[in-house]
Amino acid sequence: MTTDAISRAGSLLSGKPLRVLAALILIINGLFPALWILLTSFKTEAELTLKPITWLPRTPTLQNYVQAFSDQPLLTFLFNSFMVALLSTALTLLVSVLAAYALARLNLRFRGLIMSLIIAVSTFPLVTLLVPLFETMRALDLLNTWTALIMPYAVLSLPVCILVLTSFFESIPRDLENAAMIDGCTRIGALFRVVVPLSAPGIFTAGILAFVNAWDEFLLALSFNSNPALRTLPVGIQLYQGEFAFPWPVISAALVVGIVPIAVLIVIFQGRVVSGLTAGGVKG
Amino acid sequence: MTTSFPLARATGRAKPRRARWSRLLDPGEATLGALLLAPAAILLAVVIGYPVCKLIYTSFLDLSLTSGVPARFAGLANFQQMIEDPVFWQAAWNTILIALITVPGALIVGLALALLANLPFQMRWPARLSLLVPWALPLSFAGLIFAWFFHSEYGVVNDVLQRFGLSGIIWFNSSRLAFAAICLTIIWKTSSFMALIILAGLQTIPRSLYEAADVDGAGLVRKFLLITLPLLKPTIVVALIFRTITALQTFDIPYMMTGGGPGTSTVTLAMYIHQNTVSFLDLGYGSALAVVMFILSMAVTALYLRMIRGSEAVE
Repeated sequence: MTTDAISRAGSLLSGKPLRVLAALILIINGLFPALWILLTSFKTEAELTLKPITWLPRTPTLQNYVQAFSDQPLLTFLFNSFMVALLSTALTLLVSVLAAYALARLNLRFRGLIMSLIIAVSTFPLVTLLVPLFETMRALDLLNTWTALIMPYAVLSLPVCILVLTSFFESIPRDLENAAMIDGCTRIGALFRVVVPLSAPGIFTAGILAFVNAWDEFLLALSFNSNPALRTLPVGIQLYQGEFAFPWPVISAALVVGIVPIAVLIVIFQGRVVSGLTAGGVKG
Repeated sequence: MTTSFPLARATGRAKPRRARWSRLLDPGEATLGALLLAPAAILLAVVIGYPVCKLIYTSFLDLSLTSGVPARFAGLANFQQMIEDPVFWQAAWNTILIALITVPGALIVGLALALLANLPFQMRWPARLSLLVPWALPLSFAGLIFAWFFHSEYGVVNDVLQRFGLSGIIWFNSSRLAFAAICLTIIWKTSSFMALIILAGLQTIPRSLYEAADVDGAGLVRKFLLITLPLLKPTIVVALIFRTITALQTFDIPYMMTGGGPGTSTVTLAMYIHQNTVSFLDLGYGSALAVVMFILSMAVTALYLRMIRGSEAVE
């Protein structure tokens, strides 16, 4: 009787209705918050205070988006976030390509130790550096500049990128480099002319992880940049709330504007992101 | 050894200069390695190495930018102040409690999500996307969105409760409920990362094991307990430890949802460091707090490295 019940449960699990239910649970769990914000962004302020609350906007309006861009310099926040994320990604990629090549190809004496160190750095709490980095940036007169964020963000992603790229470089046959070197390439030349182009997928993966890390960071951006013209999106978005007022539809519109770029990136590169997470899976 | 002595001396004298030049043009393995690793080392030294030294030094100073008094050595005064500071203990306890609640919470939810996502769907991308979007959503956005979800009058959580005939809850007036709302949000946000990692682990388990178990007549529960869980263990351990370390750094979500309130009931260590440093500009005390957090993190990391090494030894 019990085996019968279990096998029935088993066939139920492979059945189509259950798969549909599973897909629904996954999608509602993962996408409902973003969907709810999207719906809210089309509602009027008056509609939000209706009880019971309405789920779909009754008189959809784009006014919140107009206000999101006019109440605060949302375009500037977007631009700052984009540039800081892009530049720190470029820096971390350049540095980690070199380091990963050394770790993948050279006979280094302390390879194991260096790898352990990289893993240890990947768990490093950047929060604890708030004080000394704040002081250092103040002394260097870098507070309220992109540089104050680009350098720590590059370090934030350095371990993941090195781990992802090392495993990628190891998968590329050495013969290809050797052939290039026989044809007169130097070792560094072979790295940039042969290994890097062949590793484009791995470099993309590492780059997306670095970009998402930088795009999401909040604490350092909040602490180091108080100049409104240099705020990144996560910091800028809290400025919409007044001392007493909380204009939710406008905030929702601003959030949608902030979510769309990262969502587009994820949709395009979903396979790469997953493989990157598992190759260097280090960020919660 | 077999070469005659004078010859060895002669070449020995001539060699260094030539070797130095050729090393520059075509460096040996060790030199090349050092050159390639140098940029990473410099970046790490500037952003982590030097600041960590400075952090430890500052934690022994009486250094407050608002007091106008120049920095002076204060011994263990900052740590003494910490021991007597009830807000520190509150923040430390909150941080540990968040880790104790949300790490297992995210594991359970993440495991469930991963098992669902691993069903044989015809299209893979909707399931994948529903795990990737929460992962990529900035923590600060998640905090704002869920503050709105848990709004006592217009929040969708209370709306759903009321539709089921329950009464709405004023989440952010009570310290316990505010804490619960924060933990639920963190679990939602971080379970997707857990699920992605576990899903990848699930896909490496050979199907033949399940087929053999089918032949032996094993049910779903037994297959899960005897095949899935043991084979997932290394993956789960790695995910758990990384999640624990990030849980100790919790800042964005409580900052956005409650700002630490009501009172100081939802302040975390990271929030308290930020408050002392950026708001009060008390760098000495802020550093001492950071040192404690640093030690806490390093202890977890040491545990992590030991476990990684342990699992490598097994392989």
